Amino acid sequence: MNILDKKNILITGCNRGIGLSTMRLCASFGANIWAHARTYNEDFEHSCSLIGKEFHVDIVPVYFDLADKEKMLEAVKLIRASKAPINGLISNAGITHNSFFQMTSKANLQENLDINFIGPYILTQYIIKLMMRNGGGSIVSIASSAAIDANMGRSAYGASKAALLTATKSLSREVGEYGVRANSLAPGITQTEMLESMSEDTIEETVNSTSLKRCGKPSEIASVAAFLISDMSSYITGQTFRVDGGM
Amino acid sequence: MLKDRNIVVTGALQGIGRETVEQLASYGANIWACSHFLDSSFLAFCSETAKENNISIFPLEGDFTSIDSVKSMSRDILKSKLPIDGLVNVAGITKDAIFQMTSSADLAKIYEVNVMATLILTQAVCKSMIRAGSGSIVNISSISAIDGVEGQISYSASKAALIGATKTLARELGSNNIRVNCIAPGVIDTDMNTNVPEDILHARLNNTSLKRMGAPSEVADLIAFFLSDLSSYMTGQIIRIDGGMA
Repeated sequence: MNILDKKNILITGCNRGIGLSTMRLCASFGANIWAHARTYNEDFEHSCSLIGKEFHVDIVPVYFDLADKEKMLEAVKLIRASKAPINGLISNAGITHNSFFQMTSKANLQENLDINFIGPYILTQYIIKLMMRNGGGSIVSIASSAAIDANMGRSAYGASKAALLTATKSLSREVGEYGVRANSLAPGITQTEMLESMSEDTIEETVNSTSLKRCGKPSEIASVAAFLISDMSSYITGQTFRVDGGM
Repeated sequence: MLKDRNIVVTGALQGIGRETVEQLASYGANIWACSHFLDSSFLAFCSETAKENNISIFPLEGDFTSIDSVKSMSRDILKSKLPIDGLVNVAGITKDAIFQMTSSADLAKIYEVNVMATLILTQAVCKSMIRAGSGSIVNISSISAIDGVEGQISYSASKAALIGATKTLARELGSNNIRVNCIAPGVIDTDMNTNVPEDILHARLNNTSLKRMGAPSEVADLIAFFLSDLSSYMTGQIIRIDGGMA
């Protein structure tokens, strides 16, 4: 299934979890990928080259901290300088945070907003510019069900993801006529390291509240992101896809 | 993507339904193509599409204004003994009239076709899916059900019923590993728009982010997505395919 054949896409947060799975799946669907991680590491370089070889696609690692605008701009310049026009951006990188409202420090709040909202926002600004020049593209922002539902202890995290979600919707209105689509994905409970921040009781309770009675796999989030990047979703924009097993 | 899956598509005669048959066939699925009547051109379309894609298409006749007819069509599907992997409920009718001018007969007829017949068929097909332990059901609603559109009281209310049905069925059938999702198309290039006045159509398209109508094939691709494993962790969702509307 080559639904991403000839697509060149940037995926942030490819080091693990949903990002790593998305990189792998998109590569298997034929996409060339700029794979972002926060800092250089050899294991990551190695897995990028292995996946690239396995699926006969180009995977180029790029490194920057989402809070570091200068480094981000350097990476964007690298993307702009390459011959390949960018067709897609999957903004996946983010941090998770749990604390009660009254216990959330200003520093916690700032960090959530910086990494989950302002970083992806600015990156998208840069990438949109390139896409508009290329005549189109698709933006996929990975938000969270916590951005839509009321979850205890998720005020800072949920608000940062809600900000991302709303910005993506608003953006879709502005860039539609330039052939750029923008959609969000709201994963529910997903089998990643992020689960480690939840108590076992909460996990069980959440799983029980889903219609499918199970956690999602990272690859099941990845496949929806791939669909939204692909031309299969060419008339879909401004939407939020909940990928949560039915909550 | 849908290789060797067996899928029931209703409303297959024209518009989104017909395009769905073509698209699903190209993705490798075998199809029961249900229509309220079978003419020679539809039968030819079915056999040509089947041959082209090296799959099977079984044309089936069923009158969606008659529960008995829908039940007998369901029996024909189940008789084949093939496992049913997917059901796409496209069949639907509309008759525009403002609220005060809507007759009870029209209200009843639209509800019967769009909701009753759809749910009766779904009940039958579900049996096979429950036995098999998996399946995916896709209901076609409309943005009219979510946004409200003047002059579409009976249509929008019937399509809103499908949204409620989707959410409840997703809850009930989730533990059987059957997913149920719903698509709400916006302005799609089909015969349903022929009666919409030019200026209203223009205003609607201007309100979309993409500034254009959708093609039936674009809706068919979203349907294929929901039938496929790409959406294996999605259920109970209502997805708008409308080019972006505020």
